[in-house]
Amino acid sequence: MTANDLLTARDAAPDGPASGATAPPASPSTRARRKKWKGRLVLNIALSIGALTMILPFVWMVLTSLKSPAELAEFPPTFLPKVWEWSNYPEALRAAPFALYFRNSFIISASHTIITLVFASMAGYALARINFKGREFIFLGFVAMLMIPTYTKIVPQFLLVKFMPLFGGNDILGQGGFGWLNSWWALIIPGGLSATAIFLFRQFYLSLPRELEEAARLDGLGDFRIYAQIYTPLIKPALATVALLTFQESWNNFLWPLLVTTRDDLRVIQVGLAVFQQLDGTAWQYLMAGTTMATVPMVLLFLFCQKYFIQGFTNAGIK
Amino acid sequence: MTQLDNRATEVVAVAGRQPRKPPVRRGRNKGRMGLIMVAPAVLHIGLWTAIPVLATLALSFTDYDIFDLPAWIGIENYVEIFSDPVFRQATWNTLVYTFWTVPASMAIAMIIAVALNQNLKLRTWFRTAFFLPQVTATVAIAMVWLWIYNPQQGLLNAALSIVGIPGQAWLADPAWSLPAVILVGAWQGIGIKMLIYIAALQNVDESLYEAASVDGASTIRKFFAITVPMLKPATFFVLIISIIGAFQVFDQIYVLTDGGPANATTMMTYEVYRSAFQNFEMGMASAQSVVLFVLLLAMTLIGRRVTKGDDE
Repeated sequence: MTANDLLTARDAAPDGPASGATAPPASPSTRARRKKWKGRLVLNIALSIGALTMILPFVWMVLTSLKSPAELAEFPPTFLPKVWEWSNYPEALRAAPFALYFRNSFIISASHTIITLVFASMAGYALARINFKGREFIFLGFVAMLMIPTYTKIVPQFLLVKFMPLFGGNDILGQGGFGWLNSWWALIIPGGLSATAIFLFRQFYLSLPRELEEAARLDGLGDFRIYAQIYTPLIKPALATVALLTFQESWNNFLWPLLVTTRDDLRVIQVGLAVFQQLDGTAWQYLMAGTTMATVPMVLLFLFCQKYFIQGFTNAGIK
Repeated sequence: MTQLDNRATEVVAVAGRQPRKPPVRRGRNKGRMGLIMVAPAVLHIGLWTAIPVLATLALSFTDYDIFDLPAWIGIENYVEIFSDPVFRQATWNTLVYTFWTVPASMAIAMIIAVALNQNLKLRTWFRTAFFLPQVTATVAIAMVWLWIYNPQQGLLNAALSIVGIPGQAWLADPAWSLPAVILVGAWQGIGIKMLIYIAALQNVDESLYEAASVDGASTIRKFFAITVPMLKPATFFVLIISIIGAFQVFDQIYVLTDGGPANATTMMTYEVYRSAFQNFEMGMASAQSVVLFVLLLAMTLIGRRVTKGDDE
């Protein structure tokens, strides 16, 4: 995908215009070069301070998670732990079922990712490359849904879950029970697809050449097989991008799981953290250990798959 | 990428203008497969987004506590909203929060993006650092800041004590709690704004700068005469997604302040949450979320005028 290359191209390029322009070693140009060098130093220092500001809270989180309660009570606080209390982590896992929360978050995020990859790509493909009746209308509908804020739909979504007919003790009219509340259904189904993902997939499929389709059709392939066997393998980077964005958003989601679950065994990691903080707000070493565990998967995923994330965020932008 | 970017920006911006006609095909079944392939998505988005939006509008004219049937009360909820000092406070807080995390943060993000557009050796590292908070969960981040803001053992007070500034109970003080929440939001959101600007800067023609240099334009002059105008489409895109994000601030409020002290940090979203899920006033919550949506739409249109103003 050429899309990624552009962003990284500059990283690889050597000091282009700067070093090229200073070829003739005349005295005014040396002065200009020194001035440029100075400016560059100031720029680097300023950006370093900025970057440290961004990183410091994460470093502080990890350092705090490795200190003893006695050390945390000191003021001014020590920067590095005097004794590195690695046992905080197993103790935190005993203080709250973070491992279970972790597993729940993983199941939900993975499910959302799979549902999105299958159904959003199918819809995106159909909207991009198959001419069917009502396509324009459906596409406009999806575009309108792009701008809908969570809070404009959250109340009815909750009611839909609560009154889901024939689930959780509800009768056919959705009365009498709890519906999907406190169930995997509520955690997985409503958040499974987003208009953003469909929209992104449509863009990716539109960027592919049409000739492939014509050739495949001559070979006698139908629409679905052209989608599954010809075009989709060509947008693997796009699949990775959408998968990562979906996983990330799902992993970080807080409000929805907070609303639809109260049972401890269905809690996701973000809600688990908030509940632990409310119940045991002073055990900062455990809280920071839990927060580290909640943060590390996304940080690692981001560091290793940076270009897909960056591509996705620059295209979709909507968090 | 360039193409993709422009297309995404354009379509989000001018909701629904078709960028390119997909190939027209006259098949035997006239693309019935297309309808089948799009059907699951239509059903899902229809049930979980389109119907809820309409239901929100309908419910906003009712009094509804989940247990009894909704009762039609006309515009009573709206009348109550506009006379409710807490919701007014929440609206004001949301606007203040939006001001600092959107236009103010965008200016900083643009400067960082321009700085990162130089051929610096550590460029990729800087970009990663600035973007890192964006990918991590707001709840986790808020938890870390809760600890940093801690009045007794917090990092912030410790740092201030080094330079002799007395510490504050940042989140408990009505004067400081909103700025403290804003700082977290701005800190987390700067990365995405910067990233879109960096991508847009790749499309700015280098020769413009060279021409300006020949004419003896200063760096600052070049920034305002070339960079800012050339980034206009990106600015519009960033503005829209940032406003949408800022209006939906919730997680950090929940963790950091619970809307307090004395409603100093409550937001429109937080009032929706309280009405619906603490007081079970579903009608009132719906009306509040309609007001939120309308205000968001108004802000988006104003933003469109400001950033696209002289194009039309």
